[in-house]
Amino acid sequence: MLNFRVLLSQIGLAVVLLGLWEYLTAIGYLSASLYGVPSGIATRAWEMMLSGELWQHTWVTTVEAVIGFAIGSAMGSFVGLALWLHEPTARCLRPFIVAINGVPKIAFAPLIIVWFGIGMEAKIAIAAILTFIVSLITTYNGTLETDKDLLKLMRSLGASRVQTWLKVVVPAGTPWMLSALRLNVGFALIGAVVGEYISSQEGLGYVVYYSGVLYDLNGVWVGIFALMVVALLMDYLVTLFERMVRW
Amino acid sequence: MVTTNAPLRTENLSVVFNPDTETEVTAFRDISFELKSEEILAIVGPSGCGKSTLFNVIAGLQPATTGQVEVKNRQVADATGHVGYMLQKDMLLPWRTVIDNVCLGLEVQGLAKSVRRARAQELISAFGLAGFEQAKPGTLSGGMRQRVAFMRTLALDPDVILLDEPFSALDFQTRTLLQLEVMKIISEQKKSAVLVTHDIGEAVTMADRVLVLSRRPGTIKNLVEIDLSREDRDPVKLRKNDKFQYYFQALWEQLEL
Ligand SMILES: Nc1ncnc2c1ncn2[C@@H]1O[C@H](COP(=O)(O)OP(=O)(O)OP(=O)(O)O)[C@@H](O)[C@H]1O
Ligand SMILES: [Mg+2]
Repeated sequence: MLNFRVLLSQIGLAVVLLGLWEYLTAIGYLSASLYGVPSGIATRAWEMMLSGELWQHTWVTTVEAVIGFAIGSAMGSFVGLALWLHEPTARCLRPFIVAINGVPKIAFAPLIIVWFGIGMEAKIAIAAILTFIVSLITTYNGTLETDKDLLKLMRSLGASRVQTWLKVVVPAGTPWMLSALRLNVGFALIGAVVGEYISSQEGLGYVVYYSGVLYDLNGVWVGIFALMVVALLMDYLVTLFERMVRW
Repeated sequence: MVTTNAPLRTENLSVVFNPDTETEVTAFRDISFELKSEEILAIVGPSGCGKSTLFNVIAGLQPATTGQVEVKNRQVADATGHVGYMLQKDMLLPWRTVIDNVCLGLEVQGLAKSVRRARAQELISAFGLAGFEQAKPGTLSGGMRQRVAFMRTLALDPDVILLDEPFSALDFQTRTLLQLEVMKIISEQKKSAVLVTHDIGEAVTMADRVLVLSRRPGTIKNLVEIDLSREDRDPVKLRKNDKFQYYFQALWEQLEL
């Protein structure tokens, strides 16, 4: 019941905002050629759906983002958790991780396109690197937050480091791992879209970029809205995963 | 060292934190005592006099600066797992069910699942928590959580049990009930226990002897025998007992609060 009311007000909000936008354009307050206009966006989206290109582009970007997300998040979470097992290694790697994290990782994109070419692999790689770093750092910091008394308890029971890791550190780090996944939905899409900006013939990043070059603002909006839908979908998948692993 | 059948003995133990620095702290000094078989020895002393640190050393979690610890006539160096240690907080794993929390130590020791389950189930029933096996700690009351922590400690069947203020966070009724239960189990299962407490009444009620520590750096001020029979030790009736009043008063005067 409550959920239904929330959904209704969300739809209401979207309708009001779009309606206001349409109205302000109709009375000449906003320029359609500068900002786009909802009716124009809808028309453009309809055309792109009929021709099948909207599906094609959305599919490409989704595949890139989801695969990059999965590879980066899985590896980042695992390495972040595993670093706890060997403190000297973690301490040795820390400045490198901090340095890489400090750089806007998008700066690596041109390198990756040189290495992986202009196909989907490059976009997957960019998304994977972004999400890898976020997962790694968040999860590793999470393991450092493990309650000292829990570690003490495990030692008093005679547990080895690996046992303590499996039975305490990993489960205690799970909420951190999950919060990184949520952030990574955004980062994976950034990775895919930026890769497509730089060099691509397909994907929503390409749609947005190319429409922008042609001053087709409605086309830009179609790309943005499609990206929002993909983001919501991925976020929902994370929610499903969260329900599976959360304690 | 003379060999006796004391399950636990310490000799000239002392712990200095951060030695030779500005933040040097001597937690305690020259602590020598012997825990007798099947007794409860209470340790009372002002906050910060090193009681938890003493337990950490006995449990092998932290090295002593000087002195040594013997458990069942074997010197404890780096080893852990030779005593049951119930920490000041219950430290249940929130993602595990009650029964899985009780099984934690047994898992660490690599016992087969069926053996673990059977042992845990036995304890859970003995403590009146049957039906709560699959509950998560977050849904339990403070007293139930403390029982689970105690069961987890007992599951490994240690001869020596260290209890660090196990009841301090509980309300009066729950505490009284648990004191009784723990006394009963310790005597039934023929365990020996060291009990750290701030509560002099609890020390008199539960302990056969009470070790009084001074303010930090903790040293042994006194060792008081509590001459009360098991039958006398009902936490409520005991309060009207003259002997209880006497011991309470005597310990109170020695504590440097
Ligand atoms: N790792 C540490 N480094 C430095 N000082 C420490 C450390 N651990 C404990 N101390 C100090 O040692 C002293 C004894 O601490 P401990 O926790 O053993 O006291 P306690 O008697 O258990 O106190 P309470 O009754 O409040 O639980 C305290 O002054 C504390 O600040
Ligand atoms: Mg303490």
